[in-house]
Amino acid sequence: MTAPIEGREARKKTQPPYLFPGYVSTQKRAPLKPLILLPENSSSLFRPVFGHDSVHPTDADLTRQHAGEPLGERIIVSGKVVDDDGHPVRGALIELWQANAAGRYHHHLDTHAAPLDPNFTGCGRLLTDAQGVYSFVSIKPGAYPWRNHENAWRPAHIHFSLFGAGILSRLVTQMYFPGDPLFARDPIFKSIPDEAARTRLVSTFDWQTTKPEFALGYRFDIVLRGPKSTPMETDHP
Amino acid sequence: MKLIATASQTVGPFFSIGLAHLHQDSTKTNSADAQTITGIVVDGDGQPIPDCVLEFWTASSFARVPTSVNGKYSVNVESGTAMCEVLLFMRGLLRPVYTRVYLSEAAKARDEVTSKLVPRDRAGTLIAQSGSAAKQLVWNVNMRGDDETVFFDY
Repeated sequence: MTAPIEGREARKKTQPPYLFPGYVSTQKRAPLKPLILLPENSSSLFRPVFGHDSVHPTDADLTRQHAGEPLGERIIVSGKVVDDDGHPVRGALIELWQANAAGRYHHHLDTHAAPLDPNFTGCGRLLTDAQGVYSFVSIKPGAYPWRNHENAWRPAHIHFSLFGAGILSRLVTQMYFPGDPLFARDPIFKSIPDEAARTRLVSTFDWQTTKPEFALGYRFDIVLRGPKSTPMETDHP
Repeated sequence: MKLIATASQTVGPFFSIGLAHLHQDSTKTNSADAQTITGIVVDGDGQPIPDCVLEFWTASSFARVPTSVNGKYSVNVESGTAMCEVLLFMRGLLRPVYTRVYLSEAAKARDEVTSKLVPRDRAGTLIAQSGSAAKQLVWNVNMRGDDETVFFDY
């Protein structure tokens, strides 16, 4: 019987590498030398607690931050954040950013010739509840071009940043939308070797959270690495 | 059996939209209790990286700072801090790099874990150097190449 592959070896398949030549920017920024493996218990278990003064209810509704409503397809994104033992991560700060419905970021360096929306900044924040559950309202972001390769377009996505039990649990990722035809040509998405791990970044349409006459629901569950998630690795499984 | 952690993806170039609310307030610089670390983050060609965000973690504190157009950052940490764990995020990194900065040679030497694991000829990349003023330290990060900063797997 083969022991399940866990820890560092498993992460080589389920997490992207540093160097992925198809994503051109990695070629000058990815470390070249071998990483030095630290014993896991040598890392900080400090968990920064945010939110009491920096998260407001309107931060979880990206459609209510301006005088008018943004253009686009209104969505409700919800899910559960758990650690790798399956325990809910409570009170976790989630930071969000995204392009508007036209595929343009509210950022001075985004030069895509698509309109800005005066009613959409694309910035959100919220905390998970006692069950690790989160929910926010936004509009579906548009796809946008980038200069990585000929006719390169990013699939629509929302950036997520999360804090868990310590520095090892820190996660920044992107949530995608089901059925996007751009997946097959997107090196950022394809950088994750394992197909199942890639697929878990794709939200699912959720009839349960879809609100009549209001918005489509999408579900996106997240697993954060725990503070001591790597079993002792041994050469003799 | 552990659940598989959600895969990382790059922060991309526009992270400040979502992350700036926790950027350290630069107007609170140089308080009597703070030490300032400044430096530049460069790529494999030695070119400054203007779209990087660094997070400095200690056993009791957290500070987040972006690099400027010339690749430079400045962060204040509590006086007396021996070491910060550092995560760097940027376009072109599909997952963050994890490193450490020791605020003195002595602090590095006291850390048995790192002393044993890091080759002697690369250990200097983890040590902040004295700057031009008191309580000013300099620590540069080299992402790739001969003088590459030591990055850790964990």
